[in-house]
Amino acid sequence: MIKSSRGKMKIICLAVAAALLLTAATGLGRSAKLTPIKIGAAGPYTGDVSKIGLDGLNAIRMAVDEANAAGGIGGRKIEIVEADDAADPSKAILVAEKLAMDRSVIGVIGPMNSATAQAALPTYQRAGLAVISQSATNPDLTEMGYTVMHRICPRDDAQGPASARFIIEVLKAKTVYIIDDKTTYGQGLSDQVEPALKAAGVRVLRGQISMEDRDFSPILTRVKSSAPDLVYLGLANPAQAASLIKQAAGLGLKPVFMGGDGLKERDQLIDGAAGLAEGMYVTSIGRDIREVPEARDFIRKFESKYGALSVFGGQSYEAANILIDAARRAHSDPMKITRANVLAALGKTRGYKGILGFPISFDSKGDVVGASIFVYQVKGKEFVPVKEYPATVRAK
Amino acid sequence: MEQFLAQVPQQIVNGITLGSVYALLALGYSMVYGVLKMLNFAHGDVFMVGAFAGWAVLSLFEQNGLIAMPALALAAMALGAIVATALLGAAIERFAYRPLRGGSRLAPLISALGVSIILENAAMLLTSGRAKTFPTELLIPQDMVVHVAGAAISATRLAMLGTSILAMVILDAVVLKTKFGRAMRATSQDAEAAEYMGIRTSLVISATFMLGSALAGLAGVMIGLYYTQVDFMIGFSAGMKAFTAAVLGGIGSFRGAVVGGLLLGLAESFGVLIAPPVYKDAIVFAVLILTLILRPHGLYGKPQQARA
Repeated sequence: MIKSSRGKMKIICLAVAAALLLTAATGLGRSAKLTPIKIGAAGPYTGDVSKIGLDGLNAIRMAVDEANAAGGIGGRKIEIVEADDAADPSKAILVAEKLAMDRSVIGVIGPMNSATAQAALPTYQRAGLAVISQSATNPDLTEMGYTVMHRICPRDDAQGPASARFIIEVLKAKTVYIIDDKTTYGQGLSDQVEPALKAAGVRVLRGQISMEDRDFSPILTRVKSSAPDLVYLGLANPAQAASLIKQAAGLGLKPVFMGGDGLKERDQLIDGAAGLAEGMYVTSIGRDIREVPEARDFIRKFESKYGALSVFGGQSYEAANILIDAARRAHSDPMKITRANVLAALGKTRGYKGILGFPISFDSKGDVVGASIFVYQVKGKEFVPVKEYPATVRAK
Repeated sequence: MEQFLAQVPQQIVNGITLGSVYALLALGYSMVYGVLKMLNFAHGDVFMVGAFAGWAVLSLFEQNGLIAMPALALAAMALGAIVATALLGAAIERFAYRPLRGGSRLAPLISALGVSIILENAAMLLTSGRAKTFPTELLIPQDMVVHVAGAAISATRLAMLGTSILAMVILDAVVLKTKFGRAMRATSQDAEAAEYMGIRTSLVISATFMLGSALAGLAGVMIGLYYTQVDFMIGFSAGMKAFTAAVLGGIGSFRGAVVGGLLLGLAESFGVLIAPPVYKDAIVFAVLILTLILRPHGLYGKPQQARA
């Protein structure tokens, strides 16, 4: 009696185990078919420059929604993992670790700032996670041997000398005061502008502020006493630049202002400075996509969904599409897409035709090939293109 | 050298404008310290809330097309910020400090840090972390500038200075001439004795908090108009500066707070003359350290008071 009961128990146990195994197996089979592919989106979604970050994130969302509507990647849905770094290098490392640990993340769009990219790159490199930045322009990022790093924007050592060329040849300034904000981007870009100006015999003075500064009268008083023809703003935050321009007017200081691509932000710079930015110049690392016919559809859809498109919206959309394209090319079997083959496919991107107005390819360092630097001027509350220079970097 | 001297008048103006705002902040800090003997670390964030309250009122005016009346808008902004921060101050005192009164002296300090973090994060969530722009130019013409002895003084600065002086004169009258002022001074000297004399110290403390917070709110509006934009983190450095100014002048002393604030503003502007602008905060704190070494109780502080 006891024995037979034990036998029954055994059979029941076996049956239960078999059933469990079976469901587990089918469960596995089903989920394997449907597991989504994840891509990271690293950028500043809170804090001082969150405006730029959130617009970029919306553009990435749009690219992913469109790709999913077109069947995702070989039938696998794409999911975005938001990685908010608040433009803070220490946070950038933390979110990079988070993305690195999630094995279903196959690539990262961003980081958007040079400083955050610099801090996070060692982590991404260790994880073998392909990185495609839409806006990190510091030259060092692709010079430090990180094979994961790619960017679709030209570098500061192309932008800086182009700005200097414009200041010398077109504006013919004799004295230039450069103010930077100590960030990898702001100071880095200023460090590129300064020698190019000096080489042409322009008198250059420099001063620094920090991103936390709100009172610029001490430095502006100093600027005023040296009476420059032009004040170059190596600042990452257009709202800060607008505030500085307004405070300069309050001191009776009205020089020609010029800044980098980070300031080309209509509502924060032009509207923020309330008319005082009129006549100011900014360089841009890409053609204004409003001038690109291929971008019309994107702009219309974006603006009907998220409101006015800002400076890195188009580039974020393009970066997301290039990463998705690389993932699609990575392996014929969508289940065999890995970080390694996405990285290899991304590096092989050649002549990708998107919405930026020029075909995108990467060189061996991960830098974009064939880009241009544009100079814009604020006229009647709009950025009007005035000059185009090819984005060339002098060999090191 | 010539260039150096040419900057002096302007840096004096810069320093006094900024210093007058620091003074208002330091006064609130000192007042609260006087009656409660605690450092109100949330003071800077009350200032930030004041700036946002002013911004909210201004937005209302803008939306309703009332911006064409700048005087009315400015008055409404100041009033809005004062009322909002006074109420906030009363609430902070009631819920974060009063329950801890009579306990460890460290407890309210930690509670103050907590309030500061709550206010900063609440503001961050409400503003999505974005800076809010003050369209100051619609209220005060930005290029209306008076030139005095080589210094450009904009209308905004004149308005700030005037408002600060007015606020200080009113505060002086309240503290020295009114019954409440007397009660406040009594509470600050000896809370227990004041209670025996029939002063309702709880009410006095609450009112002092409201008054101090209102000053911070007013300073917030002025800084918003001056810097033309505010964000949720402006309270942090403002709180540090207010604390420094109060300690520099001798915490608990009103005259000290005003002098400390002005000195701090001037140190910040003049520091730029001798060192790169990026070190301006370092210079400010160097001045504080020097003062504390030479006069541990601050410029106007009394040793006994500090020990109380």
